[in-house]
Amino acid sequence: MRRRVRRAAALAAAVVLGASACASGPGGGGDDDTVTLWVRDYQKAIMGTLADEFNATHDTQVEVTLVPATSFVQKLGTAVAAYQGPDIASLDLVFAPYFASAGVLADVTERVDALPYADDLSPAHLDQVTYEGRTYGVPFTGDVSVMFYNKTLFAEAGLDPEVPPATWAEVQQAAEAVAALGDGTNGFVFSGACGGCNIFSLTPLVWASGGDVLNADGTEALLDSDEVGGALQLYRDLYDAGTMPELVRTDAGPNAASAFQSGTVGMRFDGTSFMSTLVSDGSVDFGVAPIPGQDGGSASFAGGDVLSVMTGADNPDGAWEFLQWTTDRDAQQVLADHAILPIRMDLLDEIYVPQDPRFAVFADALSVGHVPYSIVENELFNDNNGVWAGLVQDAVFGPGSVADAQAAAQEDAQAILDKAND
Amino acid sequence: MTAPVMAPPAPGGVALPRRRRRRATLARRRTRLGVLMVLPAVVMLGLFFLWPLTQTVRMSFYDWPMLGEHTWVGLQNYTDALTDSDFLAAVGFTLRYTLIATPLLFAVALVLALLVRGGTRAARAFQTIWFIPVVIGMAAASYLWMYLFQPDLGPAAAIGERAGLLDASQNYFATFTSALVIVLAMVTWKVVGLQMLLLSSGLQSIPVEVTEAARIDGAGRWQAFRHITLPLLRPTLALVLVFSVAGSLLAFDQFFIMTAGGPSNSTITAVFQTYRTSFIQFELGAGAAMSVLLMVVLAAVSALQMLLLRNTDNA
Repeated sequence: MRRRVRRAAALAAAVVLGASACASGPGGGGDDDTVTLWVRDYQKAIMGTLADEFNATHDTQVEVTLVPATSFVQKLGTAVAAYQGPDIASLDLVFAPYFASAGVLADVTERVDALPYADDLSPAHLDQVTYEGRTYGVPFTGDVSVMFYNKTLFAEAGLDPEVPPATWAEVQQAAEAVAALGDGTNGFVFSGACGGCNIFSLTPLVWASGGDVLNADGTEALLDSDEVGGALQLYRDLYDAGTMPELVRTDAGPNAASAFQSGTVGMRFDGTSFMSTLVSDGSVDFGVAPIPGQDGGSASFAGGDVLSVMTGADNPDGAWEFLQWTTDRDAQQVLADHAILPIRMDLLDEIYVPQDPRFAVFADALSVGHVPYSIVENELFNDNNGVWAGLVQDAVFGPGSVADAQAAAQEDAQAILDKAND
Repeated sequence: MTAPVMAPPAPGGVALPRRRRRRATLARRRTRLGVLMVLPAVVMLGLFFLWPLTQTVRMSFYDWPMLGEHTWVGLQNYTDALTDSDFLAAVGFTLRYTLIATPLLFAVALVLALLVRGGTRAARAFQTIWFIPVVIGMAAASYLWMYLFQPDLGPAAAIGERAGLLDASQNYFATFTSALVIVLAMVTWKVVGLQMLLLSSGLQSIPVEVTEAARIDGAGRWQAFRHITLPLLRPTLALVLVFSVAGSLLAFDQFFIMTAGGPSNSTITAVFQTYRTSFIQFELGAGAAMSVLLMVVLAAVSALQMLLLRNTDNA
């Protein structure tokens, strides 16, 4: 496969430049011991470190290619369709069902089952790599959604900074108290025009209250359920009470996080990597707590990456060697050392939690993590102009009622699911 | 495999037309050199334009998911696109945007071009200042302006509030009109410099004598502009307008980044919808059909413009 790419590149170069074929590719690798891996660009540091460690101790050599995060799925899809894909892909776990359903991920069921720690892998990740009863990958990194709150503002507003809100009413109350401080402070911030952000940060409210957005096998939409309506109503009340900055209406990702970072916002639901940002920034004194259900309880979106071997892989055994190594102790330790949530439930307390007391919240969140399972995840939830993003817009900011927005979204979502599953 | 035996050419057959051939060879050699010179361009064109184009047209007749088997569906993708309310809304918005952006850009560019006509040092300095944004990428410019007008965060919103024009905590991307105004302001700032440059080179090519003669005959400033400058500027006008219309019909980055298609999907352009169909819904065939439709419209509009702005005065 690599050879074919290289030959095509050389041919193109020769034709275009009118020169003799001189492109032999970098390094001159391409032998049987090399496996290629694609990963989203923002994981450059961690994947580079892992690859170096692996390459130093193995005959098999892994070659990492960084792909821009925003176009990863598209690039991987088109490359695979043209038989130019990598041997291994590091996928955002929500896309695993789609790629598995399209038959481009290799079945590794027996190999995963044979792992001595098979039962200790993050259950939410395993659900996502399972398609029609077979396993198509292994968990790689964890990224869970939790509540970040500004302890300084909580104290100023007369709230106990060590007792974060544990019900929806307490969230509302805390947001109003912080917003009442005035001087440009806000109680709560989220990205109102971002589908992916809200499936990550808003649905935990639904799960923690016993509801869901899809049924278990991803064939039925549950967007008109009471729990979804309740969560949306909470956001609408927070907005109507003036606890959110105006940017939430149109933010598709980048600005809501900056607002919390600037120290003027009381609460925000975000993931593990936001903690690293806040720690290295150092300007906000923040606490971490689980995202609460309506009357208590908590839930989280168990996100992160899974590693899959592609069906067209030149070297599937070498690829599996790397997959197995990344789920084992050494590699998991590397993840933990880089403040990335490992996916081995049996190792969390030993290698991850001791680093920072707040990490315990992430570890607990992973064990109660959910992910909606769908082969049309991208169209349904991640599209910023799609059904889910539209529902959030209409229900939280729209002129109509939450129930009307839910009814319309439910119909559209079910139509998409029916089309995909027929 | 054995090499086929080539019969040597009969000596008589070559010798006879030798002289005629030599003369022909000279002309032919020139032609051959010409062909050789344009060959790289032809190859590039074929490789990066014609080949993808034929592929796109081919794909538009298939149900072609990003992964998996594709099946022939004939004109299905086209009829789907033409009855798809999302796509039609996107096309409608694109046309409206083009109808606003084109005259706006043209008017501003013409005024700027007339202002820098003197060729003094100051004029040249301003010409440079207005041209600078052209070399910034559209995506970078979009992010910049989006940040500038972010409520509570953006400096432009803050300055606007001090000047008593804006409310810094109001979200101007949350309503259709204000969002469109900000995008149009950004696009004007970003591309007007190029149009100004094209128009001022057109203005420079108009001989001073013609205008002077008109003045001597008693034509006023407006009359000279209306009856001398504008008609002589016609070829440049055609160029500028075709560029401008094509650019507006193909608008994508500015809306994708600045408004993300909102509020309530009201600023989704035709290319934006094509992108969603191809790379979010993974229906490459349907996306290809939309691209082809867009290309046909673009070609038709450009042809019409060329026709209308053709230099008919001399005929």
